[in-house]
Amino acid sequence: MRIKKPAKAGTMESNDIYIMVYPNENGNEIQLDSIVLKQFGKQIEKVIMDTLKELEVENALVVAKDRGALDYTIKARVETAVKRAIE
Amino acid sequence: MEIVSTYDLERVKSFLREFDLSLDEDVDLTLVAVEDDKIIGTCSAAKNVIKGFAVSSDFQSEGVASRLLTKIQNILFDRGIYETFIFTKPENKSIFEGLGYRFVEGNSDVVLLEGGAANVERYVKDMFIKSSLGKEEKAALVMNCNPFTLGHKFLIETAAKENERVVVFIVEENKSLFPFDVRLELVKRGVKDLDNVAVLPGGKYIISSATFPSYFLRREDEKLRAYTRLDAAIFGRYIAKEFNIKRRYVGTEPYCPVTNAYNNALMDILPNFNIEVRVVERLLKDDVAVSASFVRNLIRQGRIEDTKKYVPESTYEFLISNEAKEIIEKIKRSDSPH
Repeated sequence: MRIKKPAKAGTMESNDIYIMVYPNENGNEIQLDSIVLKQFGKQIEKVIMDTLKELEVENALVVAKDRGALDYTIKARVETAVKRAIE
Repeated sequence: MEIVSTYDLERVKSFLREFDLSLDEDVDLTLVAVEDDKIIGTCSAAKNVIKGFAVSSDFQSEGVASRLLTKIQNILFDRGIYETFIFTKPENKSIFEGLGYRFVEGNSDVVLLEGGAANVERYVKDMFIKSSLGKEEKAALVMNCNPFTLGHKFLIETAAKENERVVVFIVEENKSLFPFDVRLELVKRGVKDLDNVAVLPGGKYIISSATFPSYFLRREDEKLRAYTRLDAAIFGRYIAKEFNIKRRYVGTEPYCPVTNAYNNALMDILPNFNIEVRVVERLLKDDVAVSASFVRNLIRQGRIEDTKKYVPESTYEFLISNEAKEIIEKIKRSDSPH
């Protein structure tokens, strides 16, 4: 699936994650800010990358502002943002 | 609690007064968090800058701030504004970092954070790649060139003589009487004969309304000192580092207090980043310091022909062309500082 336009999903409220997806020239890239970056940064990036792979997205810049979201939340937010970005 | 946008700015202003904050005139969007008909929090945006942010102390730590920020980001996002900035007091830095904002630069008076897709390091790297410049040491000038005069040219020539490679950044923010693309083009044409000089767009982090909201207002207050120092530090930390800039040239400033304060900030801050600041005496013609504001004054008085002595041929050709007519009319009507 091709990212065609910028799209977003989620909120910046506690236990949620705000995901912004933009078309990108150099493959998939993640720019993550998180209140638990030190503890879970790698894990969050992995969930985002895996979700992109599942959706067969190959040209996304994902900007993620995490406030302690669980993996399921992260996955759902990424899916929604991508769905909006390919319309 | 609900969050709504409002046009009743008087009510917002009186709420902000409790926090010693004022609402800037340039805001184009204001949100309030309301509970029982009472404002308990607010934030505003002026284009891509989020400001006037406050939450009543009774409601802090209840997620009001995060809901306000989410809502304003959503609205800005839908307007096509994907990069946002926040200026705040240093003591609030960690609050916004906790809300996903990234620290860019700061001093004891003001801190700049960025959100959304904004990413200064990524942006400056990209600027450098697009410039196709090499890694060699460089000297730099930052100029508005509104319009390009012999004064600017003299400054660039001086730098070109004293350095192997020179980069001229043209302020990209479009708040000047001469539009950015015209200013850039006139400088490019005017220095064509100097083959070690590259002329580049200044981008979003050099004297933009994000890094330097006061440049385009003519005021000399404490904000000015804070913002000029902020802009200088961003130049040192990010731009000079990526471009390998070791020297910055400025001209002495006889007229404009804002530019003068900016020069002082550069001399104060840049040496901390191992960048030498060289001040060059302004070019004089018949005892007149040649500056863009002097040239604009001549234009304002309708004395286009008299500008010939103070601008390069390429600028003069432009001034007498059809393309310039609209700009000249605009100059005659305005008294903008830049």
